[in-house]
Amino acid sequence: MDVDAVVLGSGLTESIAAAALSKAGYKVAHLDVNPYYGGDNASLTADELVSWADERAAAGPSNPSYASAQRTKFTSISRSGSTLPQSRQYSISLSPAIIPSVGPLIDALIASGVSRYGGFKLLEKVAIYTGPGSVKPVPGSKEDVFKSKELSLLDKRRLMRFLMFAAGDFEGKKEFEGKEHTPFVQFLHQVFSLDGQTAAAIAYALAFCVSAAEPTLPALQRIRKYLRSTGRYGPSPFLVGHYGGLGEIAQGFCRTAAVSGAAYILAHNVFSIEIPSQSEEGRKYKIILEGLDESLTCDLLIASSGYPLPEFPRAVTNDSTDNESSNIHPIARAIVVVDRPLSFSSPEVPPASTASDAEGADTEEEEQTPQKQELDTALLVFPPSSLEGGSSVAVASVLVTGEGSISAPKGKWVLYLSLPLLEQTTRSAEALLRPYVDATLSLTVPDSASPTSTQPLFTLFYIEHPDLPPSSSAASESQIPSILAPLRSSTLLPEQADSATTNAETLFWKAVSALKAAGRRPKRRTGEGEEEGEEEVEVEGFWPPLDIVDDPEEDW
Amino acid sequence: MADGASGSAERSVQVKLVLLGEAAVGKSSVVLRFVSNEFQANKEPTIGAAFLTQKCRLEDRVLRYEIWDTAGQERFHSLAPMYYRNAQAAVVVYDVTKASSLEKAKTWVKELQRQANPNIVIALAGNKVDLVQSSTAPAAAATSESEDEADDATATPGEAPASGESDSLRQVPREEAEAYAQEAGLLFFETSAKTGEGIVELFTEIAKKIPIDQILASSRGGAGRPGAAGARAGAQEGVNLEENAAKSKDSCNC
Ligand SMILES: Nc1nc2c(ncn2[C@@H]2O[C@H](COP(=O)(O)OP(=O)(O)O)[C@@H](O)[C@H]2O)c(=O)[nH]1
Ligand SMILES: [Mg+2]
Repeated sequence: MDVDAVVLGSGLTESIAAAALSKAGYKVAHLDVNPYYGGDNASLTADELVSWADERAAAGPSNPSYASAQRTKFTSISRSGSTLPQSRQYSISLSPAIIPSVGPLIDALIASGVSRYGGFKLLEKVAIYTGPGSVKPVPGSKEDVFKSKELSLLDKRRLMRFLMFAAGDFEGKKEFEGKEHTPFVQFLHQVFSLDGQTAAAIAYALAFCVSAAEPTLPALQRIRKYLRSTGRYGPSPFLVGHYGGLGEIAQGFCRTAAVSGAAYILAHNVFSIEIPSQSEEGRKYKIILEGLDESLTCDLLIASSGYPLPEFPRAVTNDSTDNESSNIHPIARAIVVVDRPLSFSSPEVPPASTASDAEGADTEEEEQTPQKQELDTALLVFPPSSLEGGSSVAVASVLVTGEGSISAPKGKWVLYLSLPLLEQTTRSAEALLRPYVDATLSLTVPDSASPTSTQPLFTLFYIEHPDLPPSSSAASESQIPSILAPLRSSTLLPEQADSATTNAETLFWKAVSALKAAGRRPKRRTGEGEEEGEEEVEVEGFWPPLDIVDDPEEDW
Repeated sequence: MADGASGSAERSVQVKLVLLGEAAVGKSSVVLRFVSNEFQANKEPTIGAAFLTQKCRLEDRVLRYEIWDTAGQERFHSLAPMYYRNAQAAVVVYDVTKASSLEKAKTWVKELQRQANPNIVIALAGNKVDLVQSSTAPAAAATSESEDEADDATATPGEAPASGESDSLRQVPREEAEAYAQEAGLLFFETSAKTGEGIVELFTEIAKKIPIDQILASSRGGAGRPGAAGARAGAQEGVNLEENAAKSKDSCNC
């Protein structure tokens, strides 16, 4: 099979790029070593997750291979012995994410038509952990602030003022002058007199800072983006994808690529990649896959991290300016399955008691007494030092997804815990995260029949290390066609999806120019029946306009 | 159409139907025959669409098929779980002139039983029957069951291959495939995308077996698009991304 581009790895970035290239009219072959789509962003059934963990925890040869790269990327793996019944009804994500309603991914989903494959659900609630058994809802909008019973009137005013500032063009405002590198928590204190839990809620649950040291500018940019996402699809700025989120979305892009003609080959190891020889005419890479007679030839190779490439002076194109440099660190992760829902209304705090000082504005909604609201899809944030035994510098988060996001069977919830490791540590993922797991389980709704503490049905702990940046080996200006590597995406819960999309677009344009240099132009089918042919086309955008083909409405 | 089953409030239900089977048995051709009443000889028909839609009118209801083609992802066994999700019907196609394609069809049936909805309606279709019919025995009329006007798909029986090689090409006896289908609880048809034989019956008989009331009950309140929003959970309110972007009509073919 001869194609323009071979893409190795089906993570979200590569899948979006493959879809864009295929839709633009290039011939694409898309490969993944794994028997599933999504690579490190995959959504897996419960049984697949167990195999995934066991394969990576097992010892194996350290020769350069995808398997050994995965064992280096995922370490400190431990899981409970139990396996889950109804395995297939779980779609458990290897990269849990919340998706801003306004941003590159949603744009790409709509522009590519992939949105028709996917389902989404609004995130119901965000809360911060404020002490044993106690959480506070985080207002996501000005309306929320207005209605809040948790905030004093003074805090409301300050918070309103801050939100107005953050939602607008703050770059030109005097409050912001000279403060872009100031730690954000300090900025909130100095400029808006916001402290304590309110400041923590803003910094960690609105701006998603991973520590108190994060600078002001990116934090404000995020808040503005999320405020502008609010209301597009509902009160929350964030969506959670059905069936495990990013892995399912990657499948949608791959299907779109296939519909436009891309070939898909899963579950095959790359046996060898042959370098095109200088002399050869129309130099191409030759890729041989294990267990497949047919070999692939291509002008351009796009390889995700972990796919071993042959050692040769190659022109790996990578600007190595990782856009979110602050978010490149290992992450301790836990995946916990429970059979009781979480509730973010703290039982011991009567509803109005915290709003001690004088109000008036918000008394009219008295009937809003929080009941034990069972949450299906929610996010809980642990600020630094908020938990005994937890981290004193980093923020941990817990994303909960239940049946509503069609990623767990009825009556089961999947909790995704993540803790960025900002400092070197020798502790295991389990030791690092156990306190957070326990604190989270203490927030589950007690079962009146058996008031024992909630026991997880399944736990998996591991540390995920950042991908190595693609080595920009001295790009000898040889005539060798290029190999492209996608940039690393942010691992921040609300940033990952958009970051992967932005990186996919960058990759797409690099691929277009590399293919142009190799003399390959995209072609699209034209005409009907006898007139049918192929015609070279120009690449005009990331996504070509969607064909408006009329529904064949006629009955037969 | 003309006689329009208007009158009573018609219940229209959307049904996701997936195609499966070995490469080149004629899956895309079968869809194209059903949806556009076309056939393209010696070449792969371009579907180029996320899915095609086609209405199917039964006595008291209209069923709207949302037909997903494999887009070639079957070739290296790389169909995504997404493909099977919420499919209420499947057509597993084999080629009557290729024995191995029936074996392949059997593995696809197993895959469906593993991956898909437990109550999915599965039909087995032995395609390319035109190749095993002698020109003296033209294809039987295809449209007996159809309430709407007959398509003219069967108007070209003359194109069947030269009479000499007729039955020697057949590698899968009808009885054998039929016996397997019966045993596995599948609907069974022999079809020709080329002549149109059996195509309409195939989709009509599937439509009759779809538990429409059950689907209507479980998708109440849902977005109603079987492939996208969860048919599984029923009560779940999904978000339609296009909703606030552009109020597009519910077009499907792009
Ligand atoms: N004679 C004959 N050829 C067919 C029939 N259906 C499909 N073909 C041909 O078989 C080849 C493969 O068909 P295609 O629809 O692409 O198969 P798919 O890979 O299963 O989607 C094409 O050359 C078609 O023209 C049929 O019923 N009769
Ligand atoms: Mg096909």
